[in-house]
Amino acid sequence: MIHHIVRKEFADMIRDGRFRWSAILVGSLLLVSLAHGWVQARKASQELTAAQATAREHWETQGEKNPHSAAHYGVYAFKPRLALSFVDEGVDPFTGTSVWLEAHRQNDFLLRPAQDATAAQRIGALTAAQVLQHLVPLLIILLTFGAFASERERGTLRQLLATGVGWRELALGKALGASGALALLLVPAAVAGAAALVVASPAPTASPLARGAVLAGAYLAYFVVFLALSLAVSARARSSRTALVFLLAVWVVNGLVAPRVAVDLSKRVYATPSAFEFARTVEREMADGVEDIAPPDRDESTKRLLAEYGVERVEDLPINAVGVYLQESEEFSNRIFDRNYGALWDAFRRQGILQEALAAAAPSIAVRTLSMGLAGTDVEQHRHFAEAAETYRRDLMRQMNGDMTENSLTGDFSYAAGAELWESVPPLEYEAPPLGWVLGNRILSLAVLGAWLAGAVLLASAQVRRAEVA
Amino acid sequence: MTARTVLKNEWRLLMADRPLKIALGLFVVLLGYALTNGVVWLRFQERTVEATTSGNVERASALRQELEAIEAGGQPSSPFADPRSPRVLGGPSGSHTAVLAPGPLTALAIGQSDLLPYYYDVNIYTNEASFHQNGEVENPLNLMVGRFDLAFAVVYLLPLLVLALSFNVLSEEREQGTLALTLSQPVSARSVVTVKLAFRALVVAAIVLGVSLLGALATGGFGSPGRILLWSVTVVAYALFWFALAAWVNALGRSSAWNATVLVGAWLVLVVVLPAAINAAAGLLHPLPSRVEMVTAQREASNDAVNRRSELLARYLEDHPEMAEGVVADEPGLGALSWAATDAVNGRLEEVAAEHDARRAEQTALVRRYRFLSPALLAQEALLDAAGTGDARFADFQSQVRAFAERWREFFVPAIMADEQMNAGVLADVPTFSLADGDSADLTRRATAPLAVLAGLLALIGAAAGVGLGRVRGAD
Repeated sequence: MIHHIVRKEFADMIRDGRFRWSAILVGSLLLVSLAHGWVQARKASQELTAAQATAREHWETQGEKNPHSAAHYGVYAFKPRLALSFVDEGVDPFTGTSVWLEAHRQNDFLLRPAQDATAAQRIGALTAAQVLQHLVPLLIILLTFGAFASERERGTLRQLLATGVGWRELALGKALGASGALALLLVPAAVAGAAALVVASPAPTASPLARGAVLAGAYLAYFVVFLALSLAVSARARSSRTALVFLLAVWVVNGLVAPRVAVDLSKRVYATPSAFEFARTVEREMADGVEDIAPPDRDESTKRLLAEYGVERVEDLPINAVGVYLQESEEFSNRIFDRNYGALWDAFRRQGILQEALAAAAPSIAVRTLSMGLAGTDVEQHRHFAEAAETYRRDLMRQMNGDMTENSLTGDFSYAAGAELWESVPPLEYEAPPLGWVLGNRILSLAVLGAWLAGAVLLASAQVRRAEVA
Repeated sequence: MTARTVLKNEWRLLMADRPLKIALGLFVVLLGYALTNGVVWLRFQERTVEATTSGNVERASALRQELEAIEAGGQPSSPFADPRSPRVLGGPSGSHTAVLAPGPLTALAIGQSDLLPYYYDVNIYTNEASFHQNGEVENPLNLMVGRFDLAFAVVYLLPLLVLALSFNVLSEEREQGTLALTLSQPVSARSVVTVKLAFRALVVAAIVLGVSLLGALATGGFGSPGRILLWSVTVVAYALFWFALAAWVNALGRSSAWNATVLVGAWLVLVVVLPAAINAAAGLLHPLPSRVEMVTAQREASNDAVNRRSELLARYLEDHPEMAEGVVADEPGLGALSWAATDAVNGRLEEVAAEHDARRAEQTALVRRYRFLSPALLAQEALLDAAGTGDARFADFQSQVRAFAERWREFFVPAIMADEQMNAGVLADVPTFSLADGDSADLTRRATAPLAVLAGLLALIGAAAGVGLGRVRGAD
């Protein structure tokens, strides 16, 4: 019996002009956004790879100079794109793309693509993720708001039940029929996406398919939530019009209102300092130290070295005391940076977690978080790269100061190292975090989406059981 | 039956309609919430602006004290931070922060003010690279999602309220069977619908403009009446566009359910789908030049300049003057030598930036043309412009800072080249930044095109609705 229902629902839907046109619209937006994202991602990835190679070349061919001058010259790091970023660009337009790794300072990532765009781009960027998070649920609502309500209005519900079909079968049949119709547009998109990953990945990434599979699973769960909610409302509503109005209200709150309210709330609860305060605090702490972090004392440092090497005068030291002191200041400033940037990143993380929790009111937040996480474009993975770049900077500085300490004497400004030293520094090889790390960060969203899934399905079966025939 | 009767009747109906009253109440609450968000943000920015201003004063007075102490026979705190040197007085330690005060109606529209920098420290080393800044510290996630401010409520939610109030303005009368009765009076369907919608428009406008004016009143926005006017005109035109659309759809004579579906569909397409599709199309057809290439070009420019500079020692001393105690602190010509290199880098940077900016301006101009396809994009641009948080005001600020940096260099560089020393007497003449906030003519010029198009759309749809309503007969 059930396959008759599925077939009938499916046939109804693909024959319905309204569905056909909205499905064509959503389907083509999905394919266009995937293609657009892929082209952009590949272009950006090529640019970043080329820029990274040039940065390395600049470093290696900087000529002969004092290692500490080389440390000041530093090197640029560019944030690589991950393969799945073509599905969801996430926060990437709002984080910088490059950072200057130089002596004494942990710099901010600069060049946010959104700063070059116009304000218009902030009220609607077309990415596959946007289509999947907002337009597909809308299509689901349009497909199913009348599932029970319209049949009831037309009086066909009574006839249908008179044939002996159970409520449960009927609901399942309608759900599967709608799923079949949706599959017509989602399966090709998923296949195209997977093909784009396998055949010509826009950027090299470890295990893109595993990430992609979980991503597809998360979206599937999100769609089932909407399907079940829509059927539940349709079974319960007095008229199809009421069902549509209610479901549209849910859609507006879920996609438009709740995410913004969540941002404002998270900002109020976990306030971040202004850029001005932040810079001032770092500057002050760099000058005076803070709590148990004291700036290195150059005289102390020299005295300790004299004692260590058992000599009387700085000139007699077999090493360069300035190099030692420079490295000590580096260690000191690193602690100041860790303290301040750490606090800032932690505030961002808390804001993110609060927003994830608020997904209890709007599943779009949960699926958004998972989508960005799996695409590698969330704040946590930006931080992951930023920390890798900072670790690289610190190693680089240690190596430069170490070379200066070992190979020159105090007061000797003529010492110059060359290409051999520059080439001995390994290039920055960034490895994106594994899937387990990403999911571990996103347990809350997984749980909330799971709860929505279970809740929506339970609600649908309860409402369908209690539904009235007329 | 007169318009007054219809109005009175409408008012009674509104008061009796519980769901409608709830919807209106909810909208007022949301607007209030949006306004408080905007006010909190405005206060946050004002505190920063205040801090930068007092920072300028503190730096100047510290330098003055030190200069006066030196003139009275004292010693500079460090031979390498001697404020008599123009490279110190005009350098980072003597820098002047040029700041853009928050837009007069920032509380109504946060706009781009959370993304674009609104202050720069200007000194002799300010160059094109100095404009690559992040602006306010903000969680990228929050920037991506956007804020719940009045502009958002107007662009996205106001149309929904308008449609909820008017999707069945005529169809309901027909469905209840009262249309024939109404039209048996000496009134036309056109005038009935017009009066009914005018009443609703008055209610909506009173709410939105009331909250907006309250916001402006609470945050001193009344200093810019032109901006308030532009804001109000945009809100009213945008709301009327949606009322006209509802009237037109009602004139087609279909059921209330059909009207609701079509109008919500129109909202989706015009507010949600079109802006996204326009952005995507613009990005595909006119890709933004990448800044990444600029980083490389910059680097090469400075390498080149550095390579032409003489001596490892000079370079080293410049990196670390404090390491060179007594070596060559006062070597004559060092300042000039170094400035020559700085100047060469700046020149090259300007070339690279000019090329990039030209390509970007071209792209932006093309992209901005597409906004005429979506009333939501038009309204957003006009609202942000009115609030002073749109792209134009920030671009204007940046070019003023650029000009200020030029003045700053003109003041200090001659002394650097001549290796002259400065004294406390020059402090009074050091340039300071004062913002020439875009005059209202400029604002009017920018707002004309979007408002004209919005008005044109309104007239077009209004005319279609008028014609359609003229055909409505009570007995159909």
